[in-house]
Order: sequence, then C-alpha cells, then structure tokens
Amino acid sequence: MSYPSPLTTRLALAGALLFTAPPLLASDAWQRLEPARALVGDAVPEGDGLVLELPHVSEDGSAVPLTVRFEPVLEDDAIASIHLFATGNPYPEVAGFHFTEQAARPEVSTRVRLNESQRVVAVAVSREGRVWTSEREVRVTVSGCLIRGDEETPEALANPRVSLPDFRAGEPGEVRTLITHPMETGLREGPDGEVLPRYIIETFRVSLDGETAFEAELHPSVSANPYLRFYLTPQAEGEALFEWQDDSGERAEYRAELTLS
Amino acid sequence: MTQPTRPTLDRRQLLQGLGAAASLPLLGGLAAPAFANGGDGRVVVIGGGFGGATAAKYLKRGNPALQVTLVEPQSTFYTCPFSNLFLGGLREMESIAHGYDELRDRYGVEVVHARAEDIDPVAHKVSLTGGRELAYDRLVLSPGIDIRWNALEGYDEAAADLAPHAWKAGPQTRLLKEQLEGMEDGGTFVMVAPANPFRCPPGPYERASMVAHYFSQHKPNAKVLILDAKDNFSKQGLFTAGWERLYGDRIEWVGLSGDGRVTRVDAANREVETEFGTRHQADVLNVIPPQKAGWIADRAGVTDDSGWVPVQPATFESTRVPDIHVVGDATIAAPMPKSGFCANAQAKVAAAAIVAALAGRSAPEPYWTNTCYSLVGPEYGISVAGVYRLADGQIASVEGAGGLSPMEASDEVRRMEAQYAVGWYNAICQDTWGTEA
Repeated sequence: MSYPSPLTTRLALAGALLFTAPPLLASDAWQRLEPARALVGDAVPEGDGLVLELPHVSEDGSAVPLTVRFEPVLEDDAIASIHLFATGNPYPEVAGFHFTEQAARPEVSTRVRLNESQRVVAVAVSREGRVWTSEREVRVTVSGCLIRGDEETPEALANPRVSLPDFRAGEPGEVRTLITHPMETGLREGPDGEVLPRYIIETFRVSLDGETAFEAELHPSVSANPYLRFYLTPQAEGEALFEWQDDSGERAEYRAELTLS
Repeated sequence: MTQPTRPTLDRRQLLQGLGAAASLPLLGGLAAPAFANGGDGRVVVIGGGFGGATAAKYLKRGNPALQVTLVEPQSTFYTCPFSNLFLGGLREMESIAHGYDELRDRYGVEVVHARAEDIDPVAHKVSLTGGRELAYDRLVLSPGIDIRWNALEGYDEAAADLAPHAWKAGPQTRLLKEQLEGMEDGGTFVMVAPANPFRCPPGPYERASMVAHYFSQHKPNAKVLILDAKDNFSKQGLFTAGWERLYGDRIEWVGLSGDGRVTRVDAANREVETEFGTRHQADVLNVIPPQKAGWIADRAGVTDDSGWVPVQPATFESTRVPDIHVVGDATIAAPMPKSGFCANAQAKVAAAAIVAALAGRSAPEPYWTNTCYSLVGPEYGISVAGVYRLADGQIASVEGAGGLSPMEASDEVRRMEAQYAVGWYNAICQDTWGTEA
C-alpha cells in the first residue's frame, strides 16, 4: 500500500479480535498427492522460505497468474527443483522446474489452469535432499461480464518469443518466454462432441553453450500458450538455446547470443 | 422489502454478538454507540456514485428516521456508463451528469460536498476537509477505484495528462475526446487494456467501438489498436463479430499471448513497449491502467493485500472492520463484475442490512442482478446479464439465469438492444440519483 496508515495497524488488531478468521491449515495438502509424497520421501518438510503467490480470487480459471520462489540463500546447498500441484484439477501435477548453477535464482512465474476453487501446492527440493512445502487457497469464479463464446485454438509452436535482459556476470537476469500452443488437456470436447486428444508441450529447456541451465516439465494444467518467467545466471558469454518440445514430437527453438556487461 | 420472519435480536443481543465488545477496552466506543442525538441511528455514506447515492436513498426509504449524510466532493457526478458514447460523438457530457437535489429535497439526505480525509473506525468518526467530523453508527463506503500509479512503468499522474486513462468520467474523458478530435486522419488510436480485475470489464471494448464509430464518420483512414494484458475479454465473440460487421478491419486487437501486454509507457512520445519488446507508436494513447479500491478504503483499513475490499456477501460489511459496509467497484464480489449496476444492487443490500441491524433485526437474504449493455455502434447493442445469490456464504451465479446476446442475430435485434441500453441507463440513473437522463 502506498499510503502509510497508522490506523490500519490499530484496526487490523481490532478486526482480528472481532472477526476471528478460521486458522490457516498446516501446510499438509501435499500428503494427499502421490507425486508430491514421492518428492518429499522421508524428509520432514520445512515451511519458511518457499513463497507461492496467487490471487485469492481469480476471475478466469483458464489462466491464473502464479509465481513461486525460494527466498533464503542456503549454505552449501541450493534448490534443485520446485514442483507445482493443483489439488482440485483432474491432473494435479502442473509443472516442475529444475535449476542449475546457471539458473541459480529459484523463482518462476507462469499461468495455470484451475478447474475450480482449490488449494495450490508447491514443493521445493534441495540438492542435499531438504524439502519445503507451501500452499495457497484460490477461489475461482467466472466474472459475470466475462462469459464468452468459443475461443480460437492457437497454432502450435508458432512464434516463440524470448525477452532477455542485459546480463552481468554472475548476477541473475530475468528472462521471459512465450509460445503459442493449445495445451489441449485430453479432457475437453470439440465442437463435434468428440474428446480432443491430449496435445501439450511437455518440456522446455534452456541451454547455455550446450549445457542445460534451466528446464521445465509441463503438464495439462499449464495454460494455453505457455508463459514462463525465470532467471538465468550465465557464467560466460555464449549461445543460449531455448527449446520447446511437445508430445507429438514437434519442437520449436529460439537462439540468442548472450553478452555480459 | 419484506420483513424477515426469523426471530429478531434486540440491540443488546446484537452488540453482544459483535464479540463481547465490553471486554475490549480498545473498543470502548463501540459498546456505547449512537442514538445519542435521537433518531434511529446515524449513517454516513462516502461517495456519490452508483453505490453511494443508491445506499443513501435506500437507507432513507428503508427508515426515514435514520440520519443519513452523503459525503461527495463534487456537486455533479459524471457516469462512466455512457461516457464512451460521448467519445463516439453520440452524447454530450451534460447527458451523463447527475446531481444530488432529489436525494436532499425528496429523501432528506444531508449532502455534504467535501472530501473524506480520514476514518477512525474505533471512535466511529469520519473527518472531512475543512475540519468537520461526522460520527456514525454505520458507515457505507462506495469509494470506486483509484489508479495504481507507476504499477505500469512510466504511467504516473503526469503521464495521464498526456495519455489519458479516462477511466473516471469527467476531465479525463474530455481530454481524450479533444485528442481524438485533434488527431490527423490516418492516425492510430492505441488503447492499453488491463488484466483482471478492473472497473467495467466490457468498457475498453465498447470504447474501441465508439472510437471506431467516430473515425468512420470523421477520420476514415484512422485505425484502432487494442493492446491487451488478457487473452479473453467480456463479450469477446460478440464484439469481434460486431467490429467486423460495422468497421471491417479498422479495429485490431492483440491479446496477452500475442505479446499484447504493455510493460512500459512513454507518454511524452505516445509510445508503448510490450513484454517482449515490441514498440507501438500512437497518435492518441489511452492507457487503462491497473486499479485498486478508492483511497479512503485504505484509510478505513478495509482493503486486503490485493488492494481491493473483502466483504461479507450477505451484508457487504467489511470482513476486517465492524460497522463499515463497502459497495461497488472497490469490493471483491466476483462473480459480480465491477459495474455501476452491481454497485446499485449491492448498495440496496447494504442499506437493507443496515436498516435491519439498527432496528435490531437480522438482515434479509439478498440476491443481486446485473446487466451490462455495450454499444458496438449507435444502432448495434449487445449485452450480458447475470443473477447472483448466496451459496455456502459466498456469492454465486444462478445457473441458467442471465446470459449473452445471441451470436447470430438480425440487425433489428441489435438495434433493439441499443435502445434497451438507453432505457437501462435512464432507469438506473433515475433509481440512483432520481435525475432524468
């Protein structure tokens, strides 16, 4: 809030006393998800540090903006991957992001499909096997003015877009990527009443001079025209290769020369 | 309004129900409120738009003995609905202007033309410019929206003088109209449309339609380009079909997945840059920026970290601060859209809840309706309607009620809908301010 208000604090106190909100449930929704349990294994999940940002209320469940990031700097350890789950979707797995030393800042934004109001879960795993979980409740409702007719199906793998910053050696720089793809879930009926077969981008990879820097595995709960915002930490100048691979075997790529300042 | 059939609470029980207020020294003011100067209670309403004016009127209709004070800085209110018609050259600003005479003279609302500067929710007091203080038993906030300046890089208050938002009707609307009139034929009108949620979901697309209409009459070679931070918008299929029918390829829309999201505005040069680095040069630039609840909601402590106001759906009372009801665009009321019609409907619910609470009764069970008409052309109207009621304590759309204009329809149907839009506007303004449009 840009307006400092001493009253707000006073009020927050009064409000909390008068209208006691239901206590936040412990972060345990992951326990009901088989793939999340597999990630956690025998580890005891930690809470603080993994931040999941989603709107409390979304007016369009077909593309809900989501950001996940791990904030603390770990000593002699680093986040290896972050995984997202939508507990109320037919396929709860949403995406997995894999970080390396050349993508050393564990933060990703994307847009996801949420079938209904539900809890979204993130699980982070470190190289040393520590695990963090985080979850957020999202209410999904279609705004009355947003009712719409049929959408056009986007052309697959057309028009890969990449936005790169001016990188400085050893510092994380924000990268954004966007590509057209229907991300057909395999659950939806077409105009003729037949179920449209599953047709999604399954992997996205960034390589710096041939070495994988950042990788994402995508599931049907990622919105059409997948968007990813993440950070690269290139150690040296060289060629960056961005690749999208879909489940029909088709791929798209984008190449850029990275320079460091 | 029907009387509730449930057992009623007396005022003492009601106050006890508010959470053992007596045990909280902080809330000493709450335990001994009101009714001190006679009457059946004091209600202050802040904001004289669709929500506030309706609330003031319906409070007095519900209980004429209430002392109702409406605080609104302006003596004339210009509606956002139909302000696009001014841009299209179909109406004058005077035709969307409304005053407060009828609320004052016919309904006995005290109308104070001042700005509410602060709210003390513990002492139940509002302070106004000029130093006056108003005590309340219940407060209604209908603060509308404020712009999130600089949330879009380069778009601050100074930029709005060069690239108007015109998302609050008044001087900004006139500025945009002047710029459109001053533009050379063959120029491009670029509109930057925001992500959800924002005031009036179909508004940007009606505006694009009205600008295209104006161009078709006066600047036959001019174009309209909409750069959108969304992949879908309200009544999209109907708008797109209407644009093609009336304006050919004059209007181009670029959505989020086509790199339509603008991330930087250079108002001085009327240039915008999108997320993936595409630059667009405008001759007239209209930036509809990210928004939040009106400023006074922050001062009252009712907004959450989204910048909007969570409310209890049955009464539109704040979930955070007791005795403050918030209605209209400032609230989180999805699936109800941020529209003047919804603000009017929510204000009636809040007014009924306040009248009941101050009389020691429980609030009647509410339901709401909404209709959004949009003009694609002077004789081409489209609409979406919804009916809402409580389900599990939350606002829910009633399945099968409401709906969209048909995709396939004759020119006659579109012409009739354009007429209904005018009828709707006249009726809701009459209901809100009592002034003929």
